Amino acid sequence: MNSSPLLRIENLRTFFYSQRKHAFVRAVDGVTLDVGRSETVGLVGESGSGKSITAMSVMGLLRGGPGVIGGRIEFESAHGRQNLLEKLQAFVEVHEQNGRVMSVSKDEKGWRKASERIMRNYRGKEISMIFQNPRTSLNPYMTVGGQIAESIRLHTANRSESEARERALYWLERVKIDSPKLRYKTYPAVMSGGMCQRAMIAMALSAEPSMLIADEPTTGLDATIQSKIVDLLEELKSETHISTLLISHDISVISRLSDRVAIMYGGAVVEFGPARQVLDPHEEARHPYTAALIDSVPSQQKIRDKSNLQAIEGDVLDTINVPAGCRFYDRCNRVKDGIRERCATQHPPLQEISSGHHMRCWLFAKG
Amino acid sequence: MSGAILEVINLSKHFHRPRTLLSPLNRRSDVIPAVDKVSFYLRPNETMGLVGESGCGKTTVGRSVLRLLKPTSGNVIFDGRDITHYSDNELRPLRKDMQMIFQDLDAGLNPKMRVEDIISEAICVYGKLSDAEVRVKSHALLDQVNLKYSKLTSYPAELSGGEKRRVGIARMLAVGARLIVADEPTSALDVSIQAQVVNLLRDLQKQLGLSYLFISHDLQVVELMSHKVAVMYLGKIVEMGLTERVSGAARHPYTYILWSSLVEKQSHEAPRPARPDRRASSWGVYDFERPSRGCRFAPRCPVYQSLGRPAECTDPDNEPQLRDVGEGHQVACHFPLIS
Amino acid sequence: MKKYIQTTVDVVDYSSLPLVQKYALADLLYVAYGLLIVMLVLVSYFAGMFDMLPHDPQQINMDLLMSPPGTDGHLLGTDFMGRDILSRLIVGIQAYFLPGMLAISIALAGGVILGVPAGYWGGRIATCITYISNLVDSFPRMVLILLVIAAFKPDIYYIMIVMGITGVPAVATAISNKIYFLSQKNFIEAARALGLRRRVIIFKHILWYNCRALLIIQATLGMGEAILLETSLSYLGFGVQEPVPSWGNMVQSGANYFLQGNFWPSTAPALAILFTILGFNLLGDGLNNILEDRRGK
Ligand SMILES: Nc1ncnc2c1ncn2[C@@H]1O[C@H](COP(=O)(O)OP(=O)(O)OP(=O)(O)O)[C@@H](O)[C@H]1O
Ligand SMILES: Nc1ncnc2c1ncn2[C@@H]1O[C@H](COP(=O)(O)OP(=O)(O)OP(=O)(O)O)[C@@H](O)[C@H]1O
Ligand code: SF4
Ligand code: SF4
Ligand SMILES: [Mg+2]
Ligand SMILES: [Mg+2]
Repeated sequence: MNSSPLLRIENLRTFFYSQRKHAFVRAVDGVTLDVGRSETVGLVGESGSGKSITAMSVMGLLRGGPGVIGGRIEFESAHGRQNLLEKLQAFVEVHEQNGRVMSVSKDEKGWRKASERIMRNYRGKEISMIFQNPRTSLNPYMTVGGQIAESIRLHTANRSESEARERALYWLERVKIDSPKLRYKTYPAVMSGGMCQRAMIAMALSAEPSMLIADEPTTGLDATIQSKIVDLLEELKSETHISTLLISHDISVISRLSDRVAIMYGGAVVEFGPARQVLDPHEEARHPYTAALIDSVPSQQKIRDKSNLQAIEGDVLDTINVPAGCRFYDRCNRVKDGIRERCATQHPPLQEISSGHHMRCWLFAKG
Repeated sequence: MSGAILEVINLSKHFHRPRTLLSPLNRRSDVIPAVDKVSFYLRPNETMGLVGESGCGKTTVGRSVLRLLKPTSGNVIFDGRDITHYSDNELRPLRKDMQMIFQDLDAGLNPKMRVEDIISEAICVYGKLSDAEVRVKSHALLDQVNLKYSKLTSYPAELSGGEKRRVGIARMLAVGARLIVADEPTSALDVSIQAQVVNLLRDLQKQLGLSYLFISHDLQVVELMSHKVAVMYLGKIVEMGLTERVSGAARHPYTYILWSSLVEKQSHEAPRPARPDRRASSWGVYDFERPSRGCRFAPRCPVYQSLGRPAECTDPDNEPQLRDVGEGHQVACHFPLIS
Repeated sequence: MKKYIQTTVDVVDYSSLPLVQKYALADLLYVAYGLLIVMLVLVSYFAGMFDMLPHDPQQINMDLLMSPPGTDGHLLGTDFMGRDILSRLIVGIQAYFLPGMLAISIALAGGVILGVPAGYWGGRIATCITYISNLVDSFPRMVLILLVIAAFKPDIYYIMIVMGITGVPAVATAISNKIYFLSQKNFIEAARALGLRRRVIIFKHILWYNCRALLIIQATLGMGEAILLETSLSYLGFGVQEPVPSWGNMVQSGANYFLQGNFWPSTAPALAILFTILGFNLLGDGLNNILEDRRGK
């Protein structure tokens, strides 16, 4: 699987600029991961760690400058392998000072045009996305069925109206919307959050893409409905063999659905590996942040003993004033004397510590 | 209930849709029964969890308890006094003892005021203190909620979510409240910060003997925080009892589904042993709602389906009422699960 | 090619930045210019009080009719009766200022009195107030003013009272919208839960902290409008009456000689009107951006 992944993101960098502070918001700074065929990769991280921006960078849907300024996004399709950021270098000029980006010049118009030309062949056809808020990403003035049929006619061989309608009904049924014929004609406003999410999933899958990016598909839904959506995603995964990049901050959802997991902190992937290894609380080699994150979730044991939770001290990372060393340094409880110096001053690289298990931490650094 | 700090009896709150000129023309009822005949009590130093899905009326219960809303009917008894019909002026001295943590992080943090002004205002609500006393007290409060003194000069917009939450808690402690309605205190926070706030709330309870009405949809946190739990569904409490009983030996189908969906989500933890109940075999919950009469849960209720839609469940005159099934465990269902 | 530059390695705390970096330069310039215009008001009153005007604005000098700027110590020349234009311009400020203040005070006071209850309690009170506002709004202001002039007498203060009253709905709506917005964020409810008195909530939290920018901008816009109204009515002869100088009647009296090549008696007051209205509007804009902490893009 690793030999030829479907999607491969390498050292992606997406910055924004804060007018008020005259400074860069380092939203994504060092994301490296890959998604194999019929594989689900989970992307975990707290709010503001850059999960959605990573997804939007892949889709080429960013607003606001400067946006993507570096990295590779390789995608394999029937036409071969292409770097979606192919011509980026021609449009961007980055000046660094002591390893920190101090100025960026970007021909945004030119890049948007070039990116659109490439993305036209992928967006919706090869890669579909489910957005964080289902209700706002459906068009409120179009019936649910109509929207799905439109996407089908746009992206698949089903061009005729009746064919598209058939397919749309099929997908509505597929995502277990009750009485699809009836729901075909309803507007998003009268559907519950869970139903909207199902409709979104139907729409994303109806173009029969080879890759699905699901941004927080269960956030904001009720507990009982969350588990139903997770069930649905699991079922679709085993039946359609679609590759999925699943974004969530809910570790339980990720652990149930993912084959491999990438953990993000402060815009960078800090750990990436097989789900079983990364999320197992008894695993030896764990990134300090991952470990702390998993321990902070109330476990059955904690609930039984009514003991205090294991909290991660300190505060969430400020994406403008990113520290020069390890971004987790202020909150890390595993810094040892031997590596303290490096933790404080050098950003650790993402290294493979065992087959398929990557880690960004000086504790595990080789050489 | 003797010794209770808060007692709520048959509390109802109905909202009215704004009346317009054409209201009589559309036949929809103008009343939204957000909370319908809810009763419970809370003892000092106790936490009661209130769970339920979005829109079931949890926040409305919390606001009515603190008399930020005027209940439509029923009684709210705080510290032995029936405050249901108190006016704003009569309530003000009582506000010293009962406070709310709002779901919204920014609630109560005036964006144009510095943290020190926000906190000193709260300190001085019930009696003016000298500047020096205020400073001593606000430092003590910041210590209590683990906030750096350097944050005193910040504006709310410059604080992170966790810090805003702490300022909110400090403000609430400043008046010395004993009853606290915590409305989803952790849901707007980052995963890594949630645990800090949960620990803080628990420590404060131990130190100060606070009573919490803890509203949340995070079942694990509720289980950890609460001594007892009430489960709400569409404005009614459908099950209530000690936390261990409600989470481990649920009798109401909705509660059972709620907790089992939590377990289902976490496949990496050992699944709970299946319940010895043949009805539970093909359970699913539907994420749609149809208007119903009788039991509100009937359209989504698997028991109702598997029993062949018994008439009791949809009998409008026979809505299931909370019944005691032993040890203070109450269930509102005609066919409670066998434990 | 768009260039983004980060100036410092460590970005300092925003609130501790010096004024010039904290706010957009344009906003600071706007406010500075606006304050200059406001200063002129003070100059006008003090000069009148302490007799420091270059000339007596009423003194008729038949030897120096229509003298061009610079003649014999008359910096801006004289008008058709030989009166010093500069002095008349300075005194002319008084023609709009107090009446304008009256209009603004009425509009703001009325707006607060109606807007606060509408936003705070909502419901039926809000509906009533909306109806009243719409009623006042739908009545053409000019017609009302002409009616008042016809019924009473062409006095600038009557006109300004009408303007103040017709300005109430806009202020009331803005305030009640602001309060509604605050209550959406549970802001008012949280203050109530804390046990604050209603008086404190309304005056301190709502009006002082959250509506002051709004009130300032309404006041400055109102002043601009008042100037426009005063000058146009004075121009038409309904406002300030000769020989009391007002920029409006100065433009009017000067206009008769404009085509004969004597452009200064009308152009000078016209420019004064232009720059003063601009000044008040910019002052409002700048102050709004600064108080609301909004940086121009
Ligand atoms: N257009 C923009 N301009 C400036 N900053 C932005 C912009 N969009 C996003 N950001 C910043 O980028 C960072 C990453 O945002 P992102 O939406 O990817 O977070 P996330 O991991 O998806 O979080 P969440 O769980 O809240 O969705 C945040 O700090 C955010 O403030
Ligand atoms: N001021 C109001 N006017 C009209 N209807 C209201 C008002 N406040 C709440 N409601 C309605 O009452 C019901 C219960 O609302 P409430 O906010 O108590 O739910 P909740 O359980 O707290 O939900 P959530 O988990 O989303 O916070 C909802 O249907 C809501 O639309
Ligand atoms: S590099 Fe150092 S500071 Fe960073 S996570 Fe590893 S041990 Fe902690
Ligand atoms: S009363 Fe009937 S419908 Fe309601 S929860 Fe019980 S079994 Fe289900
Ligand atoms: Mg996101
Ligand atoms: Mg709520």
